[in-house]
Amino acid sequence: MFNRSATAALCVAATCVSGAANAQEETSASTLYGDLQSVTQNMLSRAAGDGNNFLHTNGNYEQTRYYPASQINTGNVKNLRPAWIFQTEIVDTMETSPIVVNGIMYVTTAFNHVYALDARTGKQIWHHKHAMGPVTTYCCGPNNRGVAVSGDKVFMGTLDAKLVALDAKTGKQLWETQIAEAELGYSETMAPSVVENMVLIGTNGGEYGIRGFVKAFDTETGEEIWTFHTIPEDSVGVWATHDATGRDMLRDIEAEKAALAEMGDPYETLGGGVWQNPAVDLDTRRIYFVVGNPSPDLDGSLRPGDNLYTDSLVAVDLDTGEYVCHFQYIAHDVWDLDAVSPPIITTVADAGGNDVKGVLHAGKTGHVYVHNAEDCSMIRFSEAMVPQENMWVLPTAEGARMLPGANGGVEWSPMAIDPNHRLSYAINLHQPMTYTVKSTPYPEGKLWLGGSFDVIPEEEQWGNVTAVDYDTGDIAWQVRTAEPMIGGILATAGGLVFTGEGNGLFKAFDSSNGAELWRFQAGAGVNAPPSSYTVEGQQYVVVAAGGNAQLNFKRGNNIIAFTLAD
Amino acid sequence: MRLPFVTLAWTLAALAPTLSATPSIAKDDFVLEDEVALCMSCHGEDGIPIEPEYPVIWGQEYFYIYTQLRDYGAGRRENDTMSAIAAEYDRDQAKLLAEHFAALPWPELPVVYQEGDQQLAEKGITRGQCSACHGKWQGDSRIPRIAGQQPHYLSQTMHDFKNDVRMNAPDLNSTMKQLDDETIAALSRYFTTINVQ
Repeated sequence: MFNRSATAALCVAATCVSGAANAQEETSASTLYGDLQSVTQNMLSRAAGDGNNFLHTNGNYEQTRYYPASQINTGNVKNLRPAWIFQTEIVDTMETSPIVVNGIMYVTTAFNHVYALDARTGKQIWHHKHAMGPVTTYCCGPNNRGVAVSGDKVFMGTLDAKLVALDAKTGKQLWETQIAEAELGYSETMAPSVVENMVLIGTNGGEYGIRGFVKAFDTETGEEIWTFHTIPEDSVGVWATHDATGRDMLRDIEAEKAALAEMGDPYETLGGGVWQNPAVDLDTRRIYFVVGNPSPDLDGSLRPGDNLYTDSLVAVDLDTGEYVCHFQYIAHDVWDLDAVSPPIITTVADAGGNDVKGVLHAGKTGHVYVHNAEDCSMIRFSEAMVPQENMWVLPTAEGARMLPGANGGVEWSPMAIDPNHRLSYAINLHQPMTYTVKSTPYPEGKLWLGGSFDVIPEEEQWGNVTAVDYDTGDIAWQVRTAEPMIGGILATAGGLVFTGEGNGLFKAFDSSNGAELWRFQAGAGVNAPPSSYTVEGQQYVVVAAGGNAQLNFKRGNNIIAFTLAD
Repeated sequence: MRLPFVTLAWTLAALAPTLSATPSIAKDDFVLEDEVALCMSCHGEDGIPIEPEYPVIWGQEYFYIYTQLRDYGAGRRENDTMSAIAAEYDRDQAKLLAEHFAALPWPELPVVYQEGDQQLAEKGITRGQCSACHGKWQGDSRIPRIAGQQPHYLSQTMHDFKNDVRMNAPDLNSTMKQLDDETIAALSRYFTTINVQ
């Protein structure tokens, strides 16, 4: 573990003075803490062991969301209290992962506002509001999941499908790049990732008939370096009839083949968005990400074939974007039970019990899938974390009931792991729904679900927090929650996991057994992934409480940082 | 009607913030002020439509207005009056009109509310996952503002989707079929109670 506190303390006396002098008028010298120093590649690469900063959306390149500090632990978490609350300008859905660099925190809100805050006090340093273009097309809410940091820049994707680079010291925009056409359904809600000179970002739009991608842009200029299309020109695949768990998906292969002969490969409007950050393996120079649903979501008649690489784990070469391997969970998905929660790289036991480099992904199906990182092959899948009924009944004109509902299982919410317990932690939804199909032609950038998934209001909804032993696939513990869960989770070396609920509760659990050890009522839905950081030897846990548009949880505008009471 | 030159010049100056380009000539004799006057003859001189089933378009989202004009013109959305009018506009003309009305203030309409509306409406919103697209009902780009909209228009629109009369947002046809008439009525009134931001 690095100790950057000493460096940070020195800078208060020296470097920060010049930082303040160079800053815009929004920057008050008296509020500055830390040196606002450049984020080096070494810092980003070694983030998993950094007990002071929180430099990546999911903690580190492996995306473990395991924070290595233990000052806040099972023994004292009962003394956790709010240190400060920052209220943003925007009272709306919040999915931001706070990023912390030497005592400076960067958070985002709906509609692409970015704030730099003093992480000790919550005092604003600067505020950047993206100049949104007139055309935006997005599902599911005007969300943003946060920034990436590198050098002296902060990077953000925007609802009008741009990538912007800001000066980390002032919030002033340095450059912007149009990633894709917003009018055709492309938008950005995910946080970018930075590796060396590249900003990596995918795209939303699986509900609008886009052709998905992951792109790399130059950190200095915003120029495109490479593009990987998540939908290849040959998207047909192997005509798989069973899902990753071996269940029959009831496909009419002959009818699909006839449709393919008539209409050709549907790759140009086949969807395949990428909602979350890739996991980065610097050793093999690969990135691993998951690809979302095919378009239109519920109507398979217009898209014969397996619809590669939708609903898949995909690995590509970090330097070139060239395909390495993939594993498809659901071929020809007509339920939107796709792959959205970001993958995690960690050591797992293979089928023979030997440790190998693995990749974990939690699906909307409610399974945690465990893969061999070498070839993307699946080693095992976990017990179902939520009820599964009537899988895979096909959507009908009248509506067919099936569990899980289309939000999961595990939605976009990132998992966390504790590599010592060899446990993964996921938050789940239980939302009974009916699946209805109605075939309509490509609507040129409008919402294109091909039907609807409708909540059954008479049936109870709930959620859970589930720990899975990824070496066996067994559920180690599970805690039921009053609300369906969406947002994310954080594990710490203090033996804790932190996660929030739509009813405003933010909780800490014992990561070994699920015992609830602490809770706080935030006053609005806590539906964002928590982060942790340490400043001047004091550990904090921070989370956004802004509610959620997708599930209509109470909106708010709070960033709340907690620390131990004196 | 063609405005005298002096009047036109004065009007253009007064509306300068909302008029960003010279009208193109895809519609013969297209003069923005004439077309605006035509729109206002139904949608209201002060932004309050003259009939309850006509929508408020003052302050509506630019891209939504533009898209609807294009859809009317192309036959993707049908209305006896609007289809014929919109069919004459090209893209630039439709954009000019959309820019004009999007820049105007949303009018205040009377709140219509019945006991129990909120509970029924929220149940419908949950069932249809309406907030996933409509957010806080204020509109954004291609999503229309429905907070403070005419309740008769909203009710008619939801029924038109439910009955496959309106087809230019096809996913709403399926969603609206899940809602009974009582819920649609409650929703249309409930949205008049939402503050316009």
